[in-house]
Amino acid sequence: MNTKLITQIKNEWRSNLWLVTELLLVSVVLWYIVDYMYVKTSIYNQPKGFDISHCYLVQMGCLTDKSPDFIPNQTEEEKRQDVKELLSRLQHRPDIEAAGLGQNSYPYNGGNSGASVVYDTLRSPGWTVRRLVTPDFVRVFRYCGTRGETPEQLAEMLKDSRNFLASDNLYKQRYGRDLTSLVGKPFYLFGDTTNTWNLAASLQVIRYGDYFEAWNSYSMLAPISEAWYSKNLELCVRVKEDQDQDFIARLKADSEKQYRVGNLFIADVRSFVDIRRNYQQAETNTWNSYLFGMGFLLLNIFLGLLGTFWFRTQQRRSEIALMKSLGGTDRSVCIRLVVEGLLLLAVATVPAMLIDWNLANVELNSWMDGSTFSWSRFLITVLFTFILIALMIVVGVGIPARKAMKVQPAEALHDE
Amino acid sequence: MIKQYFKQALVQLRQHPLISVISIVGTSLSIFLIMLVVMLQQVKVAPFSPESNRDRFLHIHYMTINHKDWGNDGTSNGPMSVQTARELYKSLKTPEAVTIYSCMTVSTPVSLPGIPAIGADVRETDATFFSVFDFRFVGGKPYDEANFDAGRPVAVITESISRALFSTTESVGKEFLLNHAPYRVVGVVKDVSTLADMSYGQVWIPFTSTDLPNDTWCDQHMGMMSTTILARSRDDFREIRAEAKRRMNEYNSILADQGYTLRDLNRPYDQETQSISFSANMEPDLQAARRERVIIFIILLLVPAINLSSMTQSRLRQRVAEIGVRRAFGSTRMEMVGQIIMENLIVTLLSGAVGLFISVLMAYWGTDILFAQPYSMTLNAPTVDSSILLHPSTFLYALLFCFVLNLLSSGIPAWKASRTGIVNALGGKIH
Repeated sequence: MNTKLITQIKNEWRSNLWLVTELLLVSVVLWYIVDYMYVKTSIYNQPKGFDISHCYLVQMGCLTDKSPDFIPNQTEEEKRQDVKELLSRLQHRPDIEAAGLGQNSYPYNGGNSGASVVYDTLRSPGWTVRRLVTPDFVRVFRYCGTRGETPEQLAEMLKDSRNFLASDNLYKQRYGRDLTSLVGKPFYLFGDTTNTWNLAASLQVIRYGDYFEAWNSYSMLAPISEAWYSKNLELCVRVKEDQDQDFIARLKADSEKQYRVGNLFIADVRSFVDIRRNYQQAETNTWNSYLFGMGFLLLNIFLGLLGTFWFRTQQRRSEIALMKSLGGTDRSVCIRLVVEGLLLLAVATVPAMLIDWNLANVELNSWMDGSTFSWSRFLITVLFTFILIALMIVVGVGIPARKAMKVQPAEALHDE
Repeated sequence: MIKQYFKQALVQLRQHPLISVISIVGTSLSIFLIMLVVMLQQVKVAPFSPESNRDRFLHIHYMTINHKDWGNDGTSNGPMSVQTARELYKSLKTPEAVTIYSCMTVSTPVSLPGIPAIGADVRETDATFFSVFDFRFVGGKPYDEANFDAGRPVAVITESISRALFSTTESVGKEFLLNHAPYRVVGVVKDVSTLADMSYGQVWIPFTSTDLPNDTWCDQHMGMMSTTILARSRDDFREIRAEAKRRMNEYNSILADQGYTLRDLNRPYDQETQSISFSANMEPDLQAARRERVIIFIILLLVPAINLSSMTQSRLRQRVAEIGVRRAFGSTRMEMVGQIIMENLIVTLLSGAVGLFISVLMAYWGTDILFAQPYSMTLNAPTVDSSILLHPSTFLYALLFCFVLNLLSSGIPAWKASRTGIVNALGGKIH
């Protein structure tokens, strides 16, 4: 039977050529999309190193001389004390678990600052993110140490201004060393070669965002000096687990009475869910448009096979009738048609794989783990692409095949 | 003749209902997706109020600065200070107008005394802002240079903010609190879509009325400001760029004493370049973005075209006797090709119209998903109206893509059919 099927496919090569060309084109484009989705999903599911659930960003504002409440001639010291006071009041608010200040520090933050972390001859990569924070900032986003240090213990360490924390992978790529082994050693920071800081703990890698890979996300945390306090710092809070309901509205309602400190006030409160959505909208948009593209391609495969096999079953009416009268069952007629479609896909998949492989080798597809190709990833994505198209073929051929199954041998042969 | 084409096309559509449905669905799906891509691009570059002059805009959204102590690669990137914007761009002679405004909106509490505040997206601007961007005023007028220079607390607000604060859109002259400071409404404008990247806001105030100009870094060279230049015409772009370059060089020679160098990364960018410029420290690659769009168009056209070709060919097979008769009675090959393509075009245009219609519907219903901006500070969802979506060019594009799709999907079958030998065709054989 199979050799017959292949002969039949060969005999109809003209119309099959259209199908195979289409399957080939779709297979390549679809593989590109599947590969993108595989990479993004894998990266997304890596541990993030931070937790934004129940977290909020409190934006501080400062009165100007246009306001009747404005306190003129405040010294810089007074302004800094106001920030400190506001932080402390929020820390004592009953529904808040932790509150901390940071500079270019919160997750999903478009802005960043760099820092160098130097130990002996070991030097951190140029894009090491510097997070200057107050100790409780660590408790807000629940950073954890590699030796099982809890956020509370880490916060305790940051109370000493000579301590700092850094993610475990700073020297991994360049020197193959984990930072855990260097805990307690003196480091040079920020290009300052006169003072040393003590690495108090090595941190589990804090990724820069959901679509940044762990191996390439470098960061360090150091205590922020009070001299830096200003309304432009990021005030981040974590509320207690059951307190998310209306938290923003409640805090805003209280803000006039309880959180006006000097010229300082709470200007805006934003949930980190919103911040994350805004920050990653570009990725979300790309994902959505690829999803659209995928649907479009699959629908086209469906339509193409539906149309072609519709004509085919019409042309082969008498042939099908003959098959049935010689003992072919409904099932075997249907299977024969579906297998014909799948064979065509198999024919198209071979050159498609070659093209895919070349695309990956000239690095035109997505990046993961510093490369665009790995055997496991390639095989998984090719297989998945095949299955997706095969599903469409089964559905597309299935409809005309059902029609073919209903052929009454007597009538069809009678027509002939 | 044309009537004949119509008749033929309609009869054919009726002959094979399923194949007709497949052709129409396939074609309209393709046009639908293509038009979505076109619209996504149009909201970024096509003019609509308050950015009706997009074709004459040149933007300097961010600036790059280097200090000799940071090494050649060490740069600081972001919005610039008022001082930098004034020195570099406000001083240019060629443009019609140059405006300086805050690089992003900030959600700010606005209220009436004693009433809980609401958050409004505030943008701080100069007075020229309103001659560069054409807001539609429903009451009052923009703040003028005198108000701006004096740093008076005046504001232009949108209709929705006016309604939220005063329960009416006629609020010119009334006072409200912005960051706890009393501001007077001088103008009320129609709501602005967040898709108007540079001008979007809900409240606009003079930046001289706040401390924003003092919010600076890198010794007051960098700050919170962006600049947009309005050229008299696109022909001036080259001259404006050259003048800006000269001014930059002059200014850098002054800064050399402090060790700073400003770098513009070939700014100012026109609207299309700016629309793909996301990071402050990288020059956008316009060619790559265009190439990507062309590839998307090709895929969206080619895949359904192959489908349709295959079906057109199957259909022509059944009409091969008719083709033979026509050829026998003196129809030329070109006429045959022309007829088949024209017949097909009728179906393509029909489905194209369906596709365009669905894409417009989708644009209205799925606005917040489709047009969500890659980067923005506001939590307000984007809105579109017909002035943003439906330009004459939209229809032209749709028509153009229909023609291309038609040629792609019926060209080869028509050419093949026309080459069939008359004797064979009369006998019903196509190959």
